[in-house]
Formats: sequence, C-alpha cells, structure tokens
Amino acid sequence: MGGIVSRIGAALLSFAVFGAFWKLVTVVGGYPDYILPAPEVVAERGLRAIVSGILWQHTAVTLVEIVLGFAVGAVAAIATGVALGKSLLIERVLSPYIVAAQAVPILALAPLLDIWFGGGLLARVLICALIVFFPIAIATMVGIRSTDPLLAEMLRSLGATPRQLTTRLEIPSALPVIFGGLRVGVTLAVIGAVVAEWAGASSGLGVLINIANQGLFDTPLMFVALTTLAVIGLAFYGLVVLVERRLITH
Amino acid sequence: MATTFDRSDPATPGLAVRIEGLGVTFPGGTQAISDFTLGVEPGSFTAIIGPNGCGKSTLLRVLAGLLPPTKGRVRLGDAGMEPHAGDGRVGLAFQQPRLVPWLSTLDNVVLPLSLDRVAAAERGARGREALERVGLSGSAERRPRELSGGMQQRAALARALISDPPLLLLDEPFSALDALTREGFDLELQRLWLDRPRTVILVTHSVGEAIALADRIVTMTARPGRVARLVAVDLPRPRRIELLGERRGAEIEAEVRRALAEVHPPELSPWVAS
Repeated sequence: MGGIVSRIGAALLSFAVFGAFWKLVTVVGGYPDYILPAPEVVAERGLRAIVSGILWQHTAVTLVEIVLGFAVGAVAAIATGVALGKSLLIERVLSPYIVAAQAVPILALAPLLDIWFGGGLLARVLICALIVFFPIAIATMVGIRSTDPLLAEMLRSLGATPRQLTTRLEIPSALPVIFGGLRVGVTLAVIGAVVAEWAGASSGLGVLINIANQGLFDTPLMFVALTTLAVIGLAFYGLVVLVERRLITH
Repeated sequence: MATTFDRSDPATPGLAVRIEGLGVTFPGGTQAISDFTLGVEPGSFTAIIGPNGCGKSTLLRVLAGLLPPTKGRVRLGDAGMEPHAGDGRVGLAFQQPRLVPWLSTLDNVVLPLSLDRVAAAERGARGREALERVGLSGSAERRPRELSGGMQQRAALARALISDPPLLLLDEPFSALDALTREGFDLELQRLWLDRPRTVILVTHSVGEAIALADRIVTMTARPGRVARLVAVDLPRPRRIELLGERRGAEIEAEVRRALAEVHPPELSPWVAS
C-alpha cells in the first residue's frame, strides 16, 4: 500500500514541477496565448471544452479509432509474427514488404488509403492498424524465434502436434517480448488515429487540433486536445502493462 | 536376474527393444553412431556408459522417435513397431529437467496427459499420485524456479512416468546433482523400478551408478559409437551404495573399467585412473 501512495505522490510531484516550469517559461518569456498559453489558461479552456461537450464529442471518435485500430493491428501483427517466426520462407517472402511499408511515411500514404477505403471509419481504423502493426509483428517474430529448443524437443518427445507446440510453448514463451511490442504499438495507435483523422475526417481529436490551430488560432484549445491525447496514450499504456502483469507470471 | 550375453542378440524373440545395425549420420556428415546392435529384454535395466560424444544421447533420441535412423532398424515391443514420439510407449527424462517455467509442478508433470486431451479431473488425480511417488506432494502448485535442482529432476522423472510407459529412457538425469544427492536418487530410482518393473535404459557417465542400478552394462566406443562390451551385473537386489566396496561389486567395477580402457586410450580415459 505504501508503494502505491509513494508512486502517486511521485507522479503528482513530477506533474507539479512540470506545471511550475511551464508557468515560469510563460512569465519570463511573456508570450501571447496563441504562441504559448500559460497552464491556467489551458486549464480554463479545457474546462469550457468539457462543459460545452465539444471535447468529449471529439475524444469519443478518436477513442473508437484507437481501440479498433490497435485491436485489428495487434491481432494481425501477432498472427503474422508467429508465421514469420516459424517459417524462414515466409520471413524471406514477406519481410521486404513489411519493412518497406514501415519505411514509407504513413503521413503521405494516409490520404490515399482514405480514398481507397471509402473515407469512413474503416479507412481510419486501417491507417491506425498499419502504424501499430510493425513493432508488434517484429517483436512476435523475435519472441517466437527465441523459444528454448530444449523445451521444444521435450514437447516433441511427448508427441505435441505443431499446433500444440505453437500454442503451448512458442506463444507463451514469446509473451514478454510480444508485450514489449504491444507497449510500443499502443502509443503508436494514438498517433495513427490522429494521422488518419488528418487524412480526412470531420471529427476526432486530430480534427480538433486542426480547427483550433489553423482555423481559430485557439492555441489553448489545441493544448487541451494534445493533453487529452497524452492522457489517452498513458491510460492505454498502463492498461497494456496491467494485462501483461496479469498474464505473465513466470 | 542376471542377463546373459547371448540374450543380447536382437534376433531373440520377445525383446522389448531390438536395435540392428543402427547408424546415425548428422546432416553435416558427422557419424554419431555406426553399426550399433543390441537387444533389450522386457523388464530389464540396462546402463549405457561411454565417453562424451560417443552417441549415447543420440541413441536415446532415436529410441524416443525424435530422430530417424540413417541406417539399420529399431523396433520396440512385441509388435516390433518403429519408435514414434508421443505414442505413450516411451518415457524420456533428459539431462536437464526441461520443465515449462510458467506451469506449476503439477501441470508440468501432467503435460503428456494434457497434450493427449485427458480430462482435467483424471489428470489431477494421476498427477498427484505421480508427485507422491517421487516425494513432491507438497510442491504441486509451485513453479519450477521455486524448486531445487533435485526436486526439478524428480518432477521430470514423474512426467516421464505419468503415462506408465513400458520403456523408460534416462539420459544422465542426475548428472547435474551433487554426488550425495545423486546416490540418494539412485536408490530412489531403484525403489521406483522394483515397485513397478519396466524396461529401463539409462545413459550414464558413472560406473558406480551403472553397477548400483543395472542388470547389464553396455560400454560404447568413441564416436562413431558401437557396442564395445556387455558386462552382466549379477548382484542381488535391492542393492546398497556400499556394494562397490564389497568383493563382487569391486570385481564388476574392474571389469567395466577394463572394458572402457580397451576402447579409449588411457591418457584420454577418465576410467583407468586410481
């Protein structure tokens, strides 16, 4: 219990120090609000955005994109990663495309994907999933490859089928590495959702950033949207860590 | 009880294991075993002893169906079937315990049953019984890392015995244990075997362990491994650890060491010292 209290205390302290530093910069620099708003200005703008309902309206859209995009991307990545890890042939055939897709800037590709897939939620989920895919697929492949060959031989001696070998040994033993990929992937899902929204959407936190930044010069509102994204990223990351602790007990 | 030399002929009917002209060559061209011929009687305890790299472990992997022979034939049981991994006729315990780290001791022991989709209730009952036989009743829910090396090896032995296989293959299962613990294990293994006799083939480096446990000791040549000599151990059971100090035990030990020295140059042989 003391551990939890001290951890919350440390987080609050770090938050307070960050806010104080931010305030100090605005005071010393004397910047106008549209360049760098003070923390209390952002807080006040955030309250208004919450009360008017505009913040939740955009956040809900982005949350759906993140959850679906992460789920689709992670499931596809783990399945692909298992195949890549188990078959050298599949790795040789697929990995150039996977690496190339990762190297191409998603920002450039997103508007095209938006057109190809009808410009709706499907397109945005796919863009998000695409960003999430790479780190999880690579982590899964590496994890599957690092299975202890002595344990694999032991299971074969007991007559384990290839499928049992994968489900009973390879995936469980790769879980710590897969979760490393999922931690990276879930934070990328937040970026993916925003990029997808920039490629063509009428609501979402990415859209709110654009409206605030380019339309209204409402920089405090943009900071509200960015803060919300950061909180979402932290929350999902924490969720992944929580599931990881539950699942990995050795 | 003692096994005579002529009964080692694989042509003898009713053998538990018959190995005829077995040869194993690895993909790189290394010949691990060449022209290995041996028959093993049902219910007998055979110890195989030889230098490092003489193909002892390879032989067990062939018998367990993990490795196909390059040459020759291996047949198991009355029906004379080829080895096939996981068909329940062979239990195998490795040098390392090879327990799955995220499974409890009980789940590790019943792993062969769960791969066979045996119902959970039966698994639990048989698993607890097997743990009791090896003295691990109190550790059913513990993880492998919470067990000592000796306890891990007991769990591995219980796992090899859970399907009650007619043939038990032991690949130096106690080699990682200290000498005293190991002697205790040898006695326990003898007790397990006397309780429920089955065909056992034990690979070992220890002449003392071989004499304490086996009906017959097979010495192997250096790579590529062949049968060098067969030494019958005609000592009454249950045997005690002190029997090496007694006259007949010492005679057999000398015979085994001579057999090993014949095929290994003395300067390379650990068996001719003292």
